[in-house]
Amino acid sequence: MEQRPQVLARAVEGDPESFSRLIEPLLDQAYRLAAVMLADRAAAEDAVQEASIKAWRKVRQLRGDLNSLRPWFLSIVANECRMTRRTRWWSVLKLPDIVSAAREAPESHADLRSALLRLSPDERLPLVLHFYLDLPLEELAKTLRVSPAAAKSRVYRAARRLRADLTIEEVL
Amino acid sequence: MSNDDFRRELNSVFDDVSGMPSGGLRDRVRSAVAQAPEARAPYWIAGVAAAVIAALIVAVLFVANPLKNGPSPVGGVPSPSPSPSPVATATPTVSPSAQQFQCSVQNFVPKPGSSTPPPVAYVDGLRTGAHTGYDRLTVEFANGAAGQVEIRFQTGTNFTLSPSGMQTTLKGENGILVVIHGADLHSSYNGSTDIVTGYTGLAEVKRIEDFEGVVQLGLGVNGYACAQAFFLTNPDRLVIDVRNS
Repeated sequence: MEQRPQVLARAVEGDPESFSRLIEPLLDQAYRLAAVMLADRAAAEDAVQEASIKAWRKVRQLRGDLNSLRPWFLSIVANECRMTRRTRWWSVLKLPDIVSAAREAPESHADLRSALLRLSPDERLPLVLHFYLDLPLEELAKTLRVSPAAAKSRVYRAARRLRADLTIEEVL
Repeated sequence: MSNDDFRRELNSVFDDVSGMPSGGLRDRVRSAVAQAPEARAPYWIAGVAAAVIAALIVAVLFVANPLKNGPSPVGGVPSPSPSPSPVATATPTVSPSAQQFQCSVQNFVPKPGSSTPPPVAYVDGLRTGAHTGYDRLTVEFANGAAGQVEIRFQTGTNFTLSPSGMQTTLKGENGILVVIHGADLHSSYNGSTDIVTGYTGLAEVKRIEDFEGVVQLGLGVNGYACAQAFFLTNPDRLVIDVRNS
C-alpha cells in the first residue's frame, strides 16, 4: 500500500487523483460541519464541494505533515460556510424541516435543537468540532486558527449558551 | 440533564440537523477537483499581475506626490511622547488627519472599513500616540475590521461598566464612548485594558464592555471632546483621533 505522505507529495505536485484520495476520508466530517453551520443540507454539500476546490488550489500552502491536513481542510470548509452565509444573506432556515422535526422530538431535544439553531454559525462551529467531530484540542484550535486556550474558551462559552449551568470541567 | 446526557442529546441534535451526506458527494468533489487544475496558473498569474500593478501605482504616486501641499506625514516617525501601549510596534501615522483634522463634537458613525466584515472582529492591539494637534487611539483587528462602530460624546468621564453595571471614572474632563459591534477584545488581545496616557488631549482609554460581541471603550479627554474616526487597512484598524489643542 502506498504511504500517505507520498500521496500528499503527489497532490502538492499537482496530481488531482492523489488530492482526492487525501480528502475523501474527510468529506463526511466536512459535510457534517457545514450542515450544522448552515442548517441547510444542500447548501452544505455545495460548500464542501467549493471548499474542496479551494483546498486543491491552495494545497501547496499546506504546512506540516498529514496531521495538519484535517484542521487545514476543515478551516477552509468553515470559511466557505461563512462566505455562503454572506452571499446568501436572504436565505433562511427551512422552516418546515425544523418544525416537523421539533414536533416529533421530545421536549428537551427540541429545546436543545432550537437553542442550537439560535446560535450564530460561528458559535456552532466550536461545538461541532468538539462534541460532534470529537477533535482533539490542538486540532480544534488549528481549525479555528486560535490558541488552544482561546479554543477552549470558545467551546465553553458556546456550550453555556445551550446549558447555562455547565462547568468548564464538564465541557472539556 | 447530566453531562453525559447533554453530550448525547447534543450529538443527536447534530445528527438531526446534518443528516447524512448524499451518496454522490464524493463523486461530485472528485469531478470538481479533476476539472479545477487549469485554474491554478491563472490565479498565479493574476497574483503577479496585481503585484506589478500595485508597484506601478506606488511608483506613480511617489513621483507625482499628490500630498506635497502639506506637511507630509511619514510612517514610523516617533510620537512626541512615549506610548504606554503594551505592544511594541510603532503607532501608524500615515493618515488623512495629518493634513485635515476635522473633528466632530456630536455622535457619529464612521464609514465602515469593509463591506464584508467578519462575523466577529478580533481586536489584537490597542495603541495610543500623541501627535501635533491630536492624540490617537488605534484599535487593530486580527481578521478584518468590525462592521459597525459608533462614537458617542458625553459630558464628564463617568462610564458604566457592562455587564456589571459598576461605575468608573476616567481621567480628564469629558468622555467619548467608542462602541464596536461584532467585536471581541479578549480572544486575541492580551495587553492592558486601561491605558493612562498622560497626553494633553486623550488622557485615558479603558475597556467598558467586552461582552456578547460588543466592545465598548471609554476615552477620558482633557478639555472638551472633539474627535474624528476612520478605518485604515494593512493591517485593518480603527483610528480615533482626539484633538489636543
